[in-house]
Amino acid sequence: MSRNRLVRLVGALGLVGVIATYWLGLFVTPNAKLFGSLVRLLYIHPSMAWVAFVAYGMAFCSSLLYLWPRTRHARFDRLAGASAEVGVVFTGLTLVTGSIWGRTTWGVWWTWDPLLTTTALLFVLYLGYLALRRVPGDPEVVARRSAIAALIAFVDVPVVYFSVTWWRSLHQPPTVDLAGRHLYVHGIMAFTLFLSFVSFTLVYAWLTAHRYRLAALSEREEDEGLDLALEERRAEGVLA
Amino acid sequence: MSTATAAGPASKAGTAAARQAAATTRRRLAVVGVVIVAALGFLVYKGLTSAIVFFKTASEAVANRAQLGNSTFQLEGTVVRGTVHHLGGSRVAFEIRQGGASIHIVNTGEPPQLFRPGLPVVVVGHFVGSGDNFASDQIMVKHSQQYIAAHPNRVRSTGAKKTAAGR
Repeated sequence: MSRNRLVRLVGALGLVGVIATYWLGLFVTPNAKLFGSLVRLLYIHPSMAWVAFVAYGMAFCSSLLYLWPRTRHARFDRLAGASAEVGVVFTGLTLVTGSIWGRTTWGVWWTWDPLLTTTALLFVLYLGYLALRRVPGDPEVVARRSAIAALIAFVDVPVVYFSVTWWRSLHQPPTVDLAGRHLYVHGIMAFTLFLSFVSFTLVYAWLTAHRYRLAALSEREEDEGLDLALEERRAEGVLA
Repeated sequence: MSTATAAGPASKAGTAAARQAAATTRRRLAVVGVVIVAALGFLVYKGLTSAIVFFKTASEAVANRAQLGNSTFQLEGTVVRGTVHHLGGSRVAFEIRQGGASIHIVNTGEPPQLFRPGLPVVVVGHFVGSGDNFASDQIMVKHSQQYIAAHPNRVRSTGAKKTAAGR
């Protein structure tokens, strides 16, 4: 299968998955004890945070591959940038959906809780990373600098995940306990939760693939534009 | 020969421009760096001070009662059943208990939707006078990570009713 068709397939599957999550989440899954229909935010909010983690993990790995001399290639730099950019979007969505959920269950839009604070920190860190990528300079220097920044920023990811166990917190521990391999929700609710994880991960992959392609195209445009300008300049010289 | 002399000053101008560009880059990097460090510093300071220093459970608060004085902090405990009373002017009084210690709370403002006896809450406020009375202006309801289906059958039947009524 060509790369283009694969990306299209991933996009289509993601779309179907998100529609199915929406349908299951809003119309099929039951209300929960205590929460009533507020529980339906469970099918949106944790998956946003999950995708942000996946995106930053990808940026971390590709930055590592870029810094490793034997695997150094511009494509890893592009992938890190594309993935982090999508990650920032999903971190923003995590904060927004979390804020809505917080207002309805805890009673506040925002509180300086360790989990919330470290997530806000994550958002700012990667915004800074994206800003750093745009600081002009020699492409290789920029790429190396960005890769190092991506490694540093990633330190906050495990801090976010474990903050609820390390510090006293208003936020409850994760419903999908990856470390203890335990799931605190059952039946169709658990299925919908997992479907949301899978669907939004596919959406992430689709967005990142497109962002990557766009970065590659704009780099090519720059290179070819420079070649063209040089050629034109030479032609002028010949005429003179 | 003439091209060589022409290239001389041009390349010098080129290096000057490059040096200036490098200086601009460095300045921009510095500005970006300062902004990021300031933002991070603010977040870490705000978050960790309020999360660690000013967060007490009921038993800790009672143990450190003298030291806490009338300072503002976050207090955690479980709302005791049968102690919730709505006073006038959207004030609510209740008792929280944790680790054998109990504290009387009077909160100004309506409690959140999920607030009910038996659930742990975090209240923001301060002790009043010298006893175990606590005045708060914010209640945050803590909940667990478990979500349990309520009346799964009833949901299905109301859904069916709704569609029947819709038609």
